Amino acid sequence: MAMAVFRREGRRLLPSIAARPIAPAPIRSPLSSDQEEGPLGVRSISTQVVRNRMKSVKNIQKITKAMKMVAASKLRAVQGRAENSRGLWQPFTALLGDNPSIDVKKSVVVTLSSDKGLCGGINSTVVKVSRALYKLNAGPEKDVKFVIVGEKAKAIMFRDSKNDISLTVTELNKNPLNYAQVSVLADDILKNVEFDALRIVYNKFHSVVAFLPTVATVLSPEIIEKESEVGGKLGELDSYEIEGGETKGEILQNLAEFQFSCVMFNAVLENACSEMGARMSAMDSSSRNAGEMLDRLTLTYNRTRQASITTELIEIISGASALEAAK
Amino acid sequence: MASSAAVPFWRAAGMTYITYSNICANLVRKCLKEPFKAESINREKVHFSLSKWADGKPQKPVLRSDAPEV
Repeated sequence: MAMAVFRREGRRLLPSIAARPIAPAPIRSPLSSDQEEGPLGVRSISTQVVRNRMKSVKNIQKITKAMKMVAASKLRAVQGRAENSRGLWQPFTALLGDNPSIDVKKSVVVTLSSDKGLCGGINSTVVKVSRALYKLNAGPEKDVKFVIVGEKAKAIMFRDSKNDISLTVTELNKNPLNYAQVSVLADDILKNVEFDALRIVYNKFHSVVAFLPTVATVLSPEIIEKESEVGGKLGELDSYEIEGGETKGEILQNLAEFQFSCVMFNAVLENACSEMGARMSAMDSSSRNAGEMLDRLTLTYNRTRQASITTELIEIISGASALEAAK
Repeated sequence: MASSAAVPFWRAAGMTYITYSNICANLVRKCLKEPFKAESINREKVHFSLSKWADGKPQKPVLRSDAPEV
C-alpha cells in the first residue's frame, strides 16, 4: 500500500524514478546536495530543506492572495468610471463612423500598456496587435510610427521596433486616472507627431476574465474632409447645419482633437480595468498553484519523516538481533 | 460662407481645442466654493513622464506634472 503511494508520488514528481523493491523506497529529489546515504544505499532529503521550502511557498501564497484582493478592490473602483466613459466617444462614432480599414500615408499606432508587471498576458497581446497593424500599414510611401504608453510595452517593443518609436510615456498611473491628465497627454501627442490616422490599441474590458485587444481609429481632419467627398457616412456631414462663425474645416479640426482626447480617456480607463482583472486572475491561479505545491511538499515531508523513523528502527532492531545472535 | 472666418484667437495662439477646453474647465473649477474647490483641484492632477525618441534612442524624459493645463 505504502509502496503504491510512493510510486504514484514519484511518478508525479519525477517521471524517471524507478521504485526499488527495498523498503523504504528511495526518493530522489532535485536538491541533490542534501541527500544522505542511509543503509542499503538509500537516499533521502533532509526534512529541514523541505520545511524551508514549505515556509517560503506558504509566504508566496499569502502574498499573491493579498495582491489579488488589492487588484479586486482597485478593479471595482475603476470599472464604474470606465463604463461611464464609454458614453464619451459614442456620439463621435455615430457622427463620423469608424474606419479601421482606412488607407492613409502616415499612421501612428498608440499602444497602451501597464507600468507594473504580474498582470498576465495583456501587454503581450497588445504588442502583438500593434505589430500586426504595423505590418498591415507599412509599405512604400506609407509610414507607421509608434507611441508607447507604459513601461511593459516599451520593454517589449524596444527589442525589435525601436527605430519606429517616436514617443514613450510612463508613470501615467501614479495619480488616479482623470480626464485632465489624459487630455494633456493627447495634446502632447498631437503636437509632436504628424499623423493622418491614429490607431489606439488597448485592452477592452468585457468582464473580469475577458479582455479583448481593440483598435480605435481616429482620423485627422484633412482625411475626414477627403473621405467626406467620397461619400458614405462621412459624406452626410454636409447635411448638418453649422452654427456660429466657424467653417466646416475648423469644426472638423476641433472635433478630431476632442475625439482623440475622449477615445484616449476611455482607452486608458479600459486598459486599467483589464490590467486589474488580469492581475486578479494571475494572482488567483498563482495562489492556487502555491497551495497545490504546498500539499505535495507536505506529503514529501511526512514521507521523509516516516522513512527516517523506519530507518532508525531497523538499525536498532538489527543491532539488537545481532547482539542476541552473538550471545 | 465665402471665405473662412478668422481662426479663433486660441488657435491663432497655437493652442489646440483640447488645451482650450482644459483651460476653460480649470476656470470653472476655480469658481467653486471652498471644500469642493480643493477636492476638484485634487481630482485633476496631472503626472506623467514623456520622452521623445530619435533614431531608436530615447532622449531625456520630460516630467509633466501637477498642472492640468499646458
